[in-house]
Amino acid sequence: MAVRREKAERLADEELMPLVGRKDPEAFEVLYDRHGGAAYSLAYRIVGDRAAAEEVTQEAFISVWRSGARFDSTRGSVRSWLLSVARNRAIDFLRSRAGKAPKLDFDDEAVLEQRPATELTEEEALRRETAAEVRGALGNLPGEQSKVIELAYFGGFSHSEIARILGLPMGTVKGRMRLGLEKIRGELAEGLA
Amino acid sequence: MSTDHNRWREDLAAYMLGALDHEEATEFERHLEGCERCREEMQWLQAAVHTLPESVERQEPPQQLRQSLMAEVRADARTQSEARPARAKRRRWLLKPAAGFAVLALLVAGAVGYEVGNDGSGDGDGGGSTIVRQAGGITVKMVSEGDGGKLHLSGVDELPPDKVLEAWVERDGKVEAVPALFVPDRHGQAETTIEDMTGVKTVMVTKEPSGGSETPTGEPIVTMSVPQ
Repeated sequence: MAVRREKAERLADEELMPLVGRKDPEAFEVLYDRHGGAAYSLAYRIVGDRAAAEEVTQEAFISVWRSGARFDSTRGSVRSWLLSVARNRAIDFLRSRAGKAPKLDFDDEAVLEQRPATELTEEEALRRETAAEVRGALGNLPGEQSKVIELAYFGGFSHSEIARILGLPMGTVKGRMRLGLEKIRGELAEGLA
Repeated sequence: MSTDHNRWREDLAAYMLGALDHEEATEFERHLEGCERCREEMQWLQAAVHTLPESVERQEPPQQLRQSLMAEVRADARTQSEARPARAKRRRWLLKPAAGFAVLALLVAGAVGYEVGNDGSGDGDGGGSTIVRQAGGITVKMVSEGDGGKLHLSGVDELPPDKVLEAWVERDGKVEAVPALFVPDRHGQAETTIEDMTGVKTVMVTKEPSGGSETPTGEPIVTMSVPQ
């Protein structure tokens, strides 16, 4: 028997996952409502096309619906897991359309400023604040470090491909990735302090 | 040991960003199993990687995506439900087509004028479908399946994005919500499954806020009485 929506809404993500594993649509719907926007936004950031982002997001969530029991809480939050599934699907989509250049910039502000504001929940507002801080952290990275991270994470390129694209030794690319992540992590730690 | 760790340390960030080739990633994972320092560093850097997807500008997903996704999920859930072994006690709550109108006492409450019939798709032994046309141009088709049945609606007006259809059954004097919420497609067709029709006397459908309600909050757009 599926749990009622109101009950599902009171459950934490980690409590919803066993219900999703038992094929409870109400629990799944709550998960989508909580994280579908972020997954779609990430997919759009990677594939650069609304129709494709929609397709990727649907595939990602269907994959989660069918494999919900595989979530391992020891390896991170449900949200991180869902977003990594969406990211992998989006990268697969890009690769299946070889030759299509991924978007490489972070500056979508102009587009968003034209969108009507929607009512924000406190949680969503906090997430957006965090996102803004992360954008700040990424923006504070030296261009050479943010570039390799963007190419890897949002472009789906391997370090050897990035080395070829940028004309750099592979060791340099990996070193810049590490320095970039360490700097972001350091800024996050400062923000929490 | 330290030199070995430093050699792998350069691969750590690339691995976390999914930028190692498959063979390199496999090799790194083997190292990771035996290197506590790498595992600790990975755990530390994990937060940085997890915030990357949060850094993208928010885009509002189309409502159609939610509807399409949930329609697929509910269809899949129904398939799973139908695959369960049938209960020993099978109750034929719908009418045998052969019985036709003689026992077809489906009533339409709150509807002004209606038509009743069946489309002859039943097998004459418990399966079957019944069609009821309701006021407002909605046609209801109920198809029996074991102890439960599928409720198809057609001619349903498009719903606002914050509304869904919710079915209700009246059993033993109490109204129960049918768990599977549903929405009409662009052709005005909508469908849900009622898993257990045992003892149900009335089936209703209302428009409810997204996520459904515990009790009906609006006038039914469909009301059907089921003969016992």
